[in-house]
Amino acid sequence: MYGWIWRNLPGNAWVKALISLLLILAVVYILFQYVFPWAEPLMPFNDVTVDNQ
Amino acid sequence: MAATADDTEEHTDASDSSPARRGRRPGRIATAVSVLGEILITAGLLLALFVVYSLWWTNVIADRKADKQAEKVRQHWAHATDSGPGALDTKDGIGFLHVPAMHNGEVLVEKGTGTDVLNDGVAGYYTDPVRATLPTSGKDGNFTLAAHRDGHGAKFHNIDKVEKGDPIVFETRDNWYVYKVYSILPETSKYNVKVIDQVPKESGKKKPGHYITLTTCTPVYTSEYRYVVWGELVRVEKVDSERTPPEELRG
Repeated sequence: MYGWIWRNLPGNAWVKALISLLLILAVVYILFQYVFPWAEPLMPFNDVTVDNQ
Repeated sequence: MAATADDTEEHTDASDSSPARRGRRPGRIATAVSVLGEILITAGLLLALFVVYSLWWTNVIADRKADKQAEKVRQHWAHATDSGPGALDTKDGIGFLHVPAMHNGEVLVEKGTGTDVLNDGVAGYYTDPVRATLPTSGKDGNFTLAAHRDGHGAKFHNIDKVEKGDPIVFETRDNWYVYKVYSILPETSKYNVKVIDQVPKESGKKKPGHYITLTTCTPVYTSEYRYVVWGELVRVEKVDSERTPPEELRG
């Protein structure tokens, strides 16, 4: 998977490394901004109140 | 080993294939194993990132938001021209909670205990299932609050450092409400709504009075149980022109 991505990136090793870094940053951004905020309430880690449910 | 055997089998007729070329074209099983490995590594990274997100990033976001909100409330207080004690703006926050034993400065208190409120790095007072009695009302009752133990500001992270006799001070525009902790329940069911009753019997109180209740989750990093701290009002101090904090907060 990662090998396939690396082989399909254009340019020499340095360009590939730079694009990889940008890709990683983009993925982390999407995770922190959209995926984790969505997933967090579904996990039983952060309920602090007492209630009837 | 299976992969190598498979590889060799495929290339037995191609006698001219060099070892280098064979290395570049792994067998199907080898490919499957390496893809599986990469998926596992990805899953591990994802979980690690989620931990970073919940324990660090949500704090950054929540603290930023809470600071902004707190400043708004302070400004609001400073600029308020009508000094009627009844004028209470609950939208931005009603006051600040100071618990010296928790070593986390002041915590803004807002209305409600939904995640949309608490995720902003504040403490919320209960509106459901039992409505909190605000100290500003002057009536007998229980001022019940909740805040996050971890992540989203983690305002009650150090709740286990609070001991009997420790002060809890609630600051409003006009008053300092000084409470004293008299009972602690380190672990109770999350369905135990009796702890936020107007007269919390589990704390040992039988008669109506001015109480404060802090609830959060326990043990740390999970929501298995609830941790409860009860306090009783000791005195009310008028806020002076310099907002000199009461002696409990000066130490």
